[in-house]
Amino acid sequence: MLGLPYWNPLIWILGFAVLIALVYFFRSRGQKKYKKGTAQTEVFLSGEEPPEEEERHIKAHNIYWGFFETLKGYYERNMREHTGIVNDYIIWFVGLIALTAVILFVVGLF
Amino acid sequence: MIATSVAVLGATIGTIGLAIFATFCGLLYKGFDRKIAAHMQSRVGPPVTQPFYDVSKLMIKDTVQPERALTWLYNAAPVISLASIITVLLYLPFGGLTFTPVLSGYGDLILLVYLLIIPALVMVAGGFASSSPFATVGAQRKMVTMMSYEFPLAVVAIAIAWKLNALYPGESVFSLAFIYSHPLWGNVGPLGIVGLLLLFFSLLVVTPGQLATVPFDVCEASPELAEGVVTEYSGRNFALFYLADAVKTVAVGTLTIALFFPYDLSPLIGISGPAGYIIDFLFFLLKLFLVVILTITLPRAAMARLRISQVPTTYWGIVTGVAVLGLILIVIG
Repeated sequence: MLGLPYWNPLIWILGFAVLIALVYFFRSRGQKKYKKGTAQTEVFLSGEEPPEEEERHIKAHNIYWGFFETLKGYYERNMREHTGIVNDYIIWFVGLIALTAVILFVVGLF
Repeated sequence: MIATSVAVLGATIGTIGLAIFATFCGLLYKGFDRKIAAHMQSRVGPPVTQPFYDVSKLMIKDTVQPERALTWLYNAAPVISLASIITVLLYLPFGGLTFTPVLSGYGDLILLVYLLIIPALVMVAGGFASSSPFATVGAQRKMVTMMSYEFPLAVVAIAIAWKLNALYPGESVFSLAFIYSHPLWGNVGPLGIVGLLLLFFSLLVVTPGQLATVPFDVCEASPELAEGVVTEYSGRNFALFYLADAVKTVAVGTLTIALFFPYDLSPLIGISGPAGYIIDFLFFLLKLFLVVILTITLPRAAMARLRISQVPTTYWGIVTGVAVLGLILIVIG
């Protein structure tokens, strides 16, 4: 067995608190002012009119777009198997139980 | 009681000292990186001290908060990002093996793998909180990149711990002190050496992903996303992200050195005492410089940016494959 991982959360929190205070102090030395309500505070979109607020955010199902695009073949194959029909899921369940039993039986022989 | 107070005070002073020095080193390495990359492209480039000027200029510029931004999260993200990445260095032998980490013995390699996620996560949160379409797309890409490089990074960590466990059963093999005081190069055969080289290569490829540099800078992608996650950040908030990036360069480089090249120079040339400390420290800075050049400067000067859909393929397919092959080879050898 590998040696067990360990850490002391309290010590980490103490160190983190010291650093937060230090960073916050450094930040407080910077310029605080800006021109509220001017063009300065409008979001930048290369000169285009930004969309309405509710349309600015990526929807949850698109957050992992890079993965879906990369693993398209894998997902398409898996989605085909998810038919929503209970009988299909039962067949998978029984099939996997049978496969597991065979593996355990073969392993048990040795 | 007095001893505890002295220990806490010592750790606090050490933490502050390390934070200031690591930030200084990070900015200096950023300067070297820009200068060398410029020379590789037949440009003069900015002076090495340019990152220091950048930060001081950012501190006096307006810190704009975009309309409809989630203000508290937007402002908190850069602070947490910088503070959390400095905590990583508290567990690492920054400066060489003779320099005991501030929090030595209070965390291990697994903790570091998780701590390295925090700055990237808060950057994603800050990007989403800024209410900018560019930033939200950048944040989404940052998350995909992060999930991609975690897999090969975990394989490298497990491979080293597994081999150490095989060589030293019963020891605390995830302990960083144990890892850097027991380098593997001398304890494996030829196949094991090849395996270690492959693991080292995997970690080198993970580094630009962690630092969002070329070819894995899809989350910033200046020409198409206008810096992505940090599009709406300016002034002191942007300065903190800039500093966090500089410190992360140092932290990831120090982790690479601790895992693969934990050697000091002073024992080899027979020098001890204060002169030995200085030599070891300079040797450490040289190793860090080489890691920065290998992982950031060279790819930036020689490669183009990957597409977002190529990032998971590269990390999960090629880099993880190389890391697993390295794992198999050090198990055999």
